Amino acid sequence: MEKLSGIQENREFVEARETSRNWGTMLVWALVLGLLAILGLGLARAQEGPIGIGRNVPEFTLTTFDGEQLNINKSRGKVVLVNFWASWCKPCQQEAAELEEAYQNFKDRDVIFLGVDYVDTEKEALAYLEKFQITYANGPDLGTKISQAFRIRGVPETFIIDRNGIIVDIKIGPYTSLAEIENALQTALEQ
Amino acid sequence: MQSGLDFQPGPYIRRQDEYCQWLKGGFLNTFVVPNIGLFSLFLAFLVAIYAAVAAVFGVRQQNPKWIESGRAAMLLTFPLLSIACVALIFLLVTGRYEFKYVASVTSDTMPTYLRITSLWGGQAGSLLFWSWLMAAFTGAVGLRKWDRDREFLPWVILVTMGTLAFFLLLVVFIENPFARLWQSLDGSQIAAPFRPRGAVPLFPSDGIGLNPLLRHLGMIIHPPMLYLGFVSYVIPYAFAIAALATGRTDARWIKLTRRWSLVAWLFLSLGLILGGRWAYDVLGWGGYWGWDPVEIAALMPWLAGTAFLHSVMIQEKRGILKHWNMLLIILTYALVIFGTFLTRSGVLSSVHAFAQSAMGPLFLGFIGVTFISSVALLIHRWSDLKGENHLDSVISRESLFLLNNLLFMGILVICFWGVLFPLISELFTGQKVTVGPIFYKRATAPLWGGILLLMGIAPLSVYGRTSWQRLGSALWKPALAALIFEFILVVQGVRSIAALIGYGLAAFVAFVTLYEFWRGTKARRKRHKESFPTALWRMARRNRRRYGGYVIHLGIVLMAFGIIGIEMFQTETQATLAQGEQLTLGRYTMVFDSLSEWDTNEGRNVARAVVQIYREDKFLGELYPRRDFYYASQQSMTIPGVRSTLEDDFYVLLVGWEPIAAQGTTFKVYHNPLVNFIWMGGFVFILGTLVAAWPERESLPSRKRVSTRGALMRA
Repeated sequence: MEKLSGIQENREFVEARETSRNWGTMLVWALVLGLLAILGLGLARAQEGPIGIGRNVPEFTLTTFDGEQLNINKSRGKVVLVNFWASWCKPCQQEAAELEEAYQNFKDRDVIFLGVDYVDTEKEALAYLEKFQITYANGPDLGTKISQAFRIRGVPETFIIDRNGIIVDIKIGPYTSLAEIENALQTALEQ
Repeated sequence: MQSGLDFQPGPYIRRQDEYCQWLKGGFLNTFVVPNIGLFSLFLAFLVAIYAAVAAVFGVRQQNPKWIESGRAAMLLTFPLLSIACVALIFLLVTGRYEFKYVASVTSDTMPTYLRITSLWGGQAGSLLFWSWLMAAFTGAVGLRKWDRDREFLPWVILVTMGTLAFFLLLVVFIENPFARLWQSLDGSQIAAPFRPRGAVPLFPSDGIGLNPLLRHLGMIIHPPMLYLGFVSYVIPYAFAIAALATGRTDARWIKLTRRWSLVAWLFLSLGLILGGRWAYDVLGWGGYWGWDPVEIAALMPWLAGTAFLHSVMIQEKRGILKHWNMLLIILTYALVIFGTFLTRSGVLSSVHAFAQSAMGPLFLGFIGVTFISSVALLIHRWSDLKGENHLDSVISRESLFLLNNLLFMGILVICFWGVLFPLISELFTGQKVTVGPIFYKRATAPLWGGILLLMGIAPLSVYGRTSWQRLGSALWKPALAALIFEFILVVQGVRSIAALIGYGLAAFVAFVTLYEFWRGTKARRKRHKESFPTALWRMARRNRRRYGGYVIHLGIVLMAFGIIGIEMFQTETQATLAQGEQLTLGRYTMVFDSLSEWDTNEGRNVARAVVQIYREDKFLGELYPRRDFYYASQQSMTIPGVRSTLEDDFYVLLVGWEPIAAQGTTFKVYHNPLVNFIWMGGFVFILGTLVAAWPERESLPSRKRVSTRGALMRA
């Protein structure tokens, strides 16, 4: 009798282990398939590609750190430079001083600069603006809406939009000289 | 990293009659060579498929002839792909810009050695190169003596040739390096190996040229090293899958692939270190590692591979952790494939991303098949992989190794999460939230610290059971030495707690390791009455794996010193200087002397500044930070001026300048303490791996047997 109950217990034990193994197996499969699904999704997004030169600028509104609302559609007739940056982004620092300098040289010539702060904390971002003495309009990319609309690949990335709202120049990575920024703006102004 | 620029036709097109002239003289070069390359490539693809199919068929029919035929086919892929590679190198060196790949990675101004290395400078060529390496490795495996392990052979053929066939599928149908440029009737530009209907061939007179960022010695060696590491992991993985498929789940597969996994790990480590050095020299942000998603994609297999390297020793010695080792090697290989996918499909936003192409979906399919079949096999054999022993004690060597594995897995999970998080957050919230370096640094730092601590304790523990007393008596001297070292640091003025902990742990490991060398040598001297160097040399030679491992640990310690130095004590400043003006950073002063700008005859504009460096008023020398602009590719490259000593680097970048230097030039300056310890440590690290992986003398007799057998077969 004792022996029998021992077998019973053993069977229960084995069954319990089997069930937990089944659950484990299902969990493993769920994870593997979930991972593949996420990769598929990412891939589908990536296949859309970045928006290109010659396309219309996507519509967006930037809320600056001072609380001002700037809509891109209201800037028709002016050349707009949209620069994506972040305080944690090392390469952004390379171009920060030059961007400000270019802004000083071009601000009276129908050129608007918009700095879009990508995935950042406000304190550090403001310290960054302070450090490089940046005076043009800057604001956080709330909900990463703007960077998604531009489908940027990383920061820094800069888009120049002509008077008709057409993207005329895209710079992936930092500008390497003041001349490079100014040439791009000059070309956009002449179009 | 190659941009997907369309090659601009127009002024580049050679005139048709001029082309005909040229053609008469070069029929061999223009048609025969590329077509031989293309043909061998396609043949290699078919042969790889045949090898995999024949192997499976042989198993089903229980007919060794089919398996042997599969093996012969496997051996054939290497010469075929070698022909394809040589043909492509020929096209690159002779500048046949009518081929899209040649036009996109070479230009007239590039020297021959760079044209050769352009073989892996772009997507299509690097895929071919990768396939060639894989064929070489599987060929080496195919040539080994299979007598004792015959049942593994068909499965190893299936896995390796299946993988090779997939990569060749991409090379042949998606990214063919032998595709020519054509202009179709509607004026659009297309690339295809054969003439599309009604299309006219294009003959650009010059190419875009290799991305200037890649024209650096580190970058020339870095990708092949990573590829070698990635590709060699296929071998242990194939054997693991063979072990699962055949049910022969003892440690045999591990013994067979021990050296392969060590070699794979060596190349992967070398690739990572060289990548860091390249970033430091070329990318111009004063650092060596930016936690870029692609860097992480290469780090993840390294983490899993490192854990695997440690835990297989436990299975060999104690017969436990069998599940774990299977899991680790599958994980390592899956991460290799995953990393390749991430970098080449454009899923991640990164400076390393290749241009988007149609290979993404195919690659995803391949990943799916690999993951699902590996996991299914593993689940199928799960109960056969039971250990022969149990963990007996918390401070036994096996427990400490397991703990080390868990720490590596912890770092891996953090990295994995960081890479996938943007995709996941976008899926659930519609917002793309990326995690920056700060996340990785904060999350992984304590785990790295834990690994350092274990590196100090584990070598002193023994298998089975270590008594606290024994461990304590072995540990107290190095621990005391580390404490004294800490005290010296505090006296020297180091106040950062994190730095003190890091340095203390690193010093502890160094002392433990050196103490181990000393103890072993002393014991041997006593036994054999040898001089100290002889005893040290013979001891290390008798147990290469162990002492090689210790040398690796010392390398890690040196790297840790460097990493803590630059991470915690790096300082930087930026200033616009007129000629003769100066800036100061720490104890250094830099005086801007002059700036000049000129065009070189190889299509490059150089702006080069001369600055003088002083330390506490003592003149140290001049530095020449410069910026090179490549006209053909419209890309520029910032090359820092670096004064490098063991103590620190003074790193000057030229970031902007006025047309007239007198008005001002902007410099970005970094002070990087101890950064050279990273490269030194890397060197020691590689040396240690070589010591551990070097073929042992004991294996000589068996190799002799193979060669006599080979000789007999030839006879």
